[in-house]
Amino acid sequence: MDLFLPYIACVTLALTVFAALRPSPPSLQIAMVAIGAAAGGWLIGIVTGSLSAFGDVSHGIFFIIFSLCAIAAAIRMITHQRPVYCALHFVLVVIASAGLLLMLEAEFMAFALVIVYAGAILITYMFVLMLANQAENPDEPYTQATYDRVPREPAAAVAVGFLLLCLITGTVTGGTSALPQQSDTNAQWFVLEKLSTQFEHAVFEVAPEFAWPPVSENKHIVQFGMDGAFIVSQKGEVLLLDKSMLPTNTQMVGWSLVNDFPVTIELAGVILLMAMFGAAVLARRAIELSEREKRIAILGQDTEEAGGDT
Amino acid sequence: MSSFAPSALAGYLIVSGLLLTIGLVGFLVRRNLIVMFLCTELMFQGAAIAFVAVGRYLFDYSGQVMVIFILTVAAAEAALALALVVLLHRQKETLDADAYVELQE
Repeated sequence: MDLFLPYIACVTLALTVFAALRPSPPSLQIAMVAIGAAAGGWLIGIVTGSLSAFGDVSHGIFFIIFSLCAIAAAIRMITHQRPVYCALHFVLVVIASAGLLLMLEAEFMAFALVIVYAGAILITYMFVLMLANQAENPDEPYTQATYDRVPREPAAAVAVGFLLLCLITGTVTGGTSALPQQSDTNAQWFVLEKLSTQFEHAVFEVAPEFAWPPVSENKHIVQFGMDGAFIVSQKGEVLLLDKSMLPTNTQMVGWSLVNDFPVTIELAGVILLMAMFGAAVLARRAIELSEREKRIAILGQDTEEAGGDT
Repeated sequence: MSSFAPSALAGYLIVSGLLLTIGLVGFLVRRNLIVMFLCTELMFQGAAIAFVAVGRYLFDYSGQVMVIFILTVAAAEAALALALVVLLHRQKETLDADAYVELQE
């Protein structure tokens, strides 16, 4: 029975999403979203086991809050009839997942996500939504167009989507405990020793009389012992290194970006440039004007009667 | 960085899987072109959380670098797709994906 609990949660979620997709009054839809978020929370609870898995109970509580916010906003986003509200609910998803990234110690990515997604991409969506706004039907004000109200094949779509979710759940519950646990943070020390100015300043703060530079052994100046990382100066002084000297998350991401993926970041730049040109070319509207219209546009009056060219 | 339990990783992966699935269902179900593209952004979100969580578990910063590339692709996709949507909307004055059925021929 324990084996089937995650799948039962998946099916509950699928049924509530299907029910929320049907055209129904808003209060009923909000209730469906709440049930869906509860089913998602149940699924997460089954898979995680207990809140202490996060090391700290407060961490676990924040995880539950952010993930429930993200799931509820996501369900509300795909079920809401008004596209502008869909976009606003997507902003909520972005902010909740930025919270999740913060707890994963990815501060830079969390803020980049909020700035780029909520700040830039969603504004573009909003502009286009306003630009392509439908004129309301005067007979039935405050109702959306049919294509916003009636979903397309909800049963088939929910079945396909949640089959995928069942697959993901099965893989995650069976697979994550088999992953190797890597606990060494040596890579960060090796990045720090490449940032030699920062390393020297950090060492100088702790031990001003330490004779820089330290000796290097096997091309690395940081050595590892029972008590952790240490460096040895030319005079034989030994200095134990504190973890607070380690490069920050942003520095490590930047290092990984330019050290491991130098070509990919160039390609990303080219993709963005091409997208900018492509969008400008696509959205440009070529207006065909006759000679007479051009004259009117430029001079502000029609000069044809005054003997203009024919 | 302190260590990270496998069951906590499982929690993050389930959240990312849920966002991916809901985005997929939304993409299939909605008929408004703009909302369909919004749902692909939701799927990108799920992928981003999975990348960062696994990167955090393995103490590998490549996961976060991948999120930078996801942001790049999402921005490029939003710019191009929305330009196309504006173009299509000018022709037919509707955002209904079913109105462009003749494109399949």
